[in-house]
Amino acid sequence: MQIHELVGAVHEAAWLPWAVQYFFLIALSATALLMALPGLALGRVAALPRARLALMVAVTTGITAPIALLADLHQPGRFWEFFLYTNSSSWMAWGAWFVPSYVGLIVAFAWAVHRPGLYALGQESWRFNWLFRWLSLGGASNGFVRPLGIAAGAAALLVLIYTGAEVYVVRARPLWNTPFLPLQFAATGFVGALGLMLVLERVLCREPALEARLNRALALALGVVAVLGAAWFALALSGLSPRHSEALASVAGFPVWQKIALWGAVSVAVPFVLALVSPSRTGWVTGLIAIHAAWMFRWTVFMGGQAVPKVGSGLYDALLPAGLDGLMGVIGTFGLWLFLLIAYTTFIPWTEASAPADGAVPARPATSH
Amino acid sequence: MDTNRRGFLGAMGRVTIGAAASMAGAGQSAQAATDKPHIPHWGMVVDLRKCIGCQACTVACIMENDVPEDSFRTHVSVYEVLKEGGDPAMVMLPRLCNHCDDPPCVPVCPVEATFKLETGEVVVDNTKCVGCAYCVQACPYDARFINHETQTADKCTFCFHRTSAGLLPACVETCVGGARNFGDLDDPESEVSRMLRENEVSVLRPEMHTNPNVYYIGLDAVLDGRVAGEAAYRPPLTTEPQAHGLGAEPQPQGEDA
Ligand code: SF4
Ligand code: SF4
Repeated sequence: MQIHELVGAVHEAAWLPWAVQYFFLIALSATALLMALPGLALGRVAALPRARLALMVAVTTGITAPIALLADLHQPGRFWEFFLYTNSSSWMAWGAWFVPSYVGLIVAFAWAVHRPGLYALGQESWRFNWLFRWLSLGGASNGFVRPLGIAAGAAALLVLIYTGAEVYVVRARPLWNTPFLPLQFAATGFVGALGLMLVLERVLCREPALEARLNRALALALGVVAVLGAAWFALALSGLSPRHSEALASVAGFPVWQKIALWGAVSVAVPFVLALVSPSRTGWVTGLIAIHAAWMFRWTVFMGGQAVPKVGSGLYDALLPAGLDGLMGVIGTFGLWLFLLIAYTTFIPWTEASAPADGAVPARPATSH
Repeated sequence: MDTNRRGFLGAMGRVTIGAAASMAGAGQSAQAATDKPHIPHWGMVVDLRKCIGCQACTVACIMENDVPEDSFRTHVSVYEVLKEGGDPAMVMLPRLCNHCDDPPCVPVCPVEATFKLETGEVVVDNTKCVGCAYCVQACPYDARFINHETQTADKCTFCFHRTSAGLLPACVETCVGGARNFGDLDDPESEVSRMLRENEVSVLRPEMHTNPNVYYIGLDAVLDGRVAGEAAYRPPLTTEPQAHGLGAEPQPQGEDA
């Protein structure tokens, strides 16, 4: 049987590249926050250098993400309705409560972690000490770091659950409607966050020992991504999971999708091998490829998923952004993130961040300036 | 109001009664005071044997509902189907919102801007819609879109503004071949109920369990889901002729469809 579609409607993507940015940034933030907790909330000293970078990633991407989300609404001025008319059957409605809570908690957690350092800067006699006195709210105690960290960690888990579920429940898009998707979002989130931490480590710290630790963690995360990917394919090909089979069938016949699958496999395998073989010299390369892999995964899922017609034949345009307009979301959010990163590294004594001493409320900064 | 356009012309009296009943359904008529008001459950039966693919409905809908360029609330897909050992056949498939009884577009809306009316239509309150497009993703029929003039979700309403005035939807009113039939599925006497009784009917994507209220007579199963054929449109990324699905059959050489 042969079918030619002679007249059919083409549907544009309703979720724009802004959505890709949102899901990318919020996943990096939530996973990075979880990696910041052992060092900064649970007091594991050995984990401190990694935790400082993780917190930097969590805060900067966490603040940028909701802005990308707002920009993806076609009526951004009506965002307050999310809080007025919460529809409890919609994961997006729940997300509207989770995301601001999460962002509020990570900012509060980061502030608490850095409060002794901010206070110390406020005590020195220099031009901007008034700013830091104000930022530290006139005190150095930070005994509330741990409860704030744990609350932020719980919120991060809620964010990971809701972002995964929101996309997973869309039965109309087979590529999204696989039970693995939330896990893949989380695992690639760790990959992206570790990639970003590696790049920041190269720019800001240059400690081979830290680079090697991050690379090993990255290899682990990439391993998880690879196992999930392989299991996805195995379930789809064997027919054990009809949902996975349907997802694969929806794109399998298209050469462009075969190339995407190959591209994905290479961008997992290459940093995995490099990170294992030479963990203390490859941070730049593995980091950048890891960021790219986490981002590409989301671009493919969201834009690629929307390129698959629900009733029509062939593919729609969404895979390639239409001109500069489509890319503005990507460029704009990265620009904002960079600005926040510069502000963070300039104004926050992040190299001194540490967990509060157990039980005691330190009267002085935990480390000297 | 319970017929196609031809029926309308041939049975004016009956249509008038139908119109009064629909007003009663909206609770606006004193006639209903005597016994329990009957609330219609609107539905459509599309007789594909009669559709000539003229797109008059597509145009009528655009004019009636001020649908912006590049979007459709309804349109007619046209396929050339070549079966083993047979001659090529032209098949028309009018598509529109199915006003599903279990609409996946409704529960996902974060702000309850989209909902199902008592009379069965699934509608959007575009003064409330935040334009998140979650419903656009959730509809398995690609029946929704973002209207870039209102920046909110848009879709077929079964011409609610017309049916509440006792008129037929614009696409039904204008249907040249008499393929589109509209009426009260809860009224056993209605033309659509009779058509459902007397014909074998099917719905699009039954596997989605959405319980559509748009039924088709003469729908070939190969067209009831995502149509595995050569597309009329190919995006720049995909130059080769393509088909989806594992083990898809090789495509014909001719690409000038
Ligand atoms: S066809 Fe789509 S838009 Fe219409 S009611 Fe069903 S799910 Fe909703
Ligand atoms: S686009 Fe509008 S109607 Fe659709 S889910 Fe979002 S708020 Fe609801």
